[in-house]
Amino acid sequence: MKKLIIIFSVLSLLIFIKPVLGLGTNINAVDSATVSTTQVVDNADDESVLDGAFKGIEKFYNYTGFANATSGHILMIFIGIIFIYLGIKYDYEPLLLIPIGIGVIIGNIPFVAGNQTGIYETGSVLNYLYFGVVKGIYPPLIFLGIGAMTDFSSLIANPKLMLLGGAAQIGVFATFLGALYLGFNLPEAGAIGIIGGADGPTAIFLSSKLANGINVLADGTTVKNLIGPIAIAAYSYMALVPVIQPPLMRLLVSKKDRKIKMKPPRAVTQKEKMIFPVVALILTLFISPSALPLLGMLFFGNLLKESGRTERLAETARTKLIDIVTILLGVTVGASTQADIFITKDSMLIFGLGAISFVIATMGGLLFAKFMNLFLKGENKINPLIGAAGVSAVPDSARVVHTEGLKSDPSNYLLMHAMAPNVSGVIGSAIAAGIILSFLG
Amino acid sequence: MIQILLNTDPISEGYVILITGLLIVFGALVTLALFFNYGLPVMLYLYKIITKGKDKKISEIKVKDNSDFTGEISAVIGASIHMYMSEQHDHESGILTIKQVKKAYSPWSSKIYGIQNRL
Repeated sequence: MKKLIIIFSVLSLLIFIKPVLGLGTNINAVDSATVSTTQVVDNADDESVLDGAFKGIEKFYNYTGFANATSGHILMIFIGIIFIYLGIKYDYEPLLLIPIGIGVIIGNIPFVAGNQTGIYETGSVLNYLYFGVVKGIYPPLIFLGIGAMTDFSSLIANPKLMLLGGAAQIGVFATFLGALYLGFNLPEAGAIGIIGGADGPTAIFLSSKLANGINVLADGTTVKNLIGPIAIAAYSYMALVPVIQPPLMRLLVSKKDRKIKMKPPRAVTQKEKMIFPVVALILTLFISPSALPLLGMLFFGNLLKESGRTERLAETARTKLIDIVTILLGVTVGASTQADIFITKDSMLIFGLGAISFVIATMGGLLFAKFMNLFLKGENKINPLIGAAGVSAVPDSARVVHTEGLKSDPSNYLLMHAMAPNVSGVIGSAIAAGIILSFLG
Repeated sequence: MIQILLNTDPISEGYVILITGLLIVFGALVTLALFFNYGLPVMLYLYKIITKGKDKKISEIKVKDNSDFTGEISAVIGASIHMYMSEQHDHESGILTIKQVKKAYSPWSSKIYGIQNRL
């Protein structure tokens, strides 16, 4: 404490004697706004030195956050604190919300532009870290880690559940249409639509390709930079899956259907697990090659896990590597919400559309599961609740399905079954991203 | 592509993307599902035929072939495996380090005061 007071007093002393040492004049030359006033001071040399000292303090004050803060900054900092609070208190995806929350605060500290501080200023450190977001480098690395974590065996055991992952993608395309009606142009609408895929890395990847503020449209207008709002919307709704989904499940699935017990999935051999990533990689990417960076890395990671020979690589991919990338991604995405760029009408619209797209995606999955039940008989019937896990949000939505199932029947464990549509939702949303990219990119 | 984007209004273009997109997503997932439902068992069956069942399940091994295999033999094998496993050492790192030990100076062991001082 003593040291702190000493340092502070030395600093303030330095600021006081700055005009005496003649340092002030150099800086004044740079700052055009105060040039006229300082000239007056220079002319009237007989005025006291104190006057110059106050100028110095004023200058220091002008550089502080207190002088530059706007209501937008305060609002965003408050939002950042809410994110951190939600992450810590309610345990809603803390691994995402806490880095993003602190990023939001970092990004909204008011500063004087032109000193290479902000995330949008070329040459600043944050700008270099943000490069991985803008160029879509982080999402494939995250997918590598996800691949090395994911066990596809429940999907291999029951391939028909893969369709549920496709059904939930109706949220993507419905939001896309909604965004078009609200007046966004095609690439922007495509990037907004992918929020419905409930997959953060995919959303960032697609928006960095379509709505990056660089691409020029056919009619000469530049697309808006929507990476920040889209990423924040996608991640915050993913964190809110435990809030959004249960009411919809209760609304659409009858009590009787919620109690359906599914037969346990068959055991899957290691051979099948090894074949899956290779075959799925080839099949899906031949259909939608634009999803290459995402799905390629996903299945690569999965092969590392299942091959049994590359345990070291898989271990790194699913622990250290994904952790590093998550830290960088979270903090830079958070910091990209600089108030003057983030608080716009578009962001509000995107947040609205994001909520709707989650609702539509969940409903799509649930209704399709009921539809599939019409054709299935006896013990092959599926519990419609697992349709909700078709929105990707791995593994949160599967967990929500599981707890929802337990509420209606305490002996009905749906987690394994819900993982199948869950992981196929990841594949589905990546394919959807690839399709949108190939149409609009 | 640019021509199309210029000439049609975004909404109808949106519907086209909506329908084709959904179809393709479903198409891709259906292909995957079909493959793993029907294609994979066939592949595994073929693989089994090619390798001609090198590793058999225990139930497939006939009793007749193993009439020489008595209880004593299996007991010996079991005991030796047990001994091998329980007497295994941990893996120790093979790196040996010679640490320099510094001692406080003492004249009693000093070479200067030896009895055979030669100049």
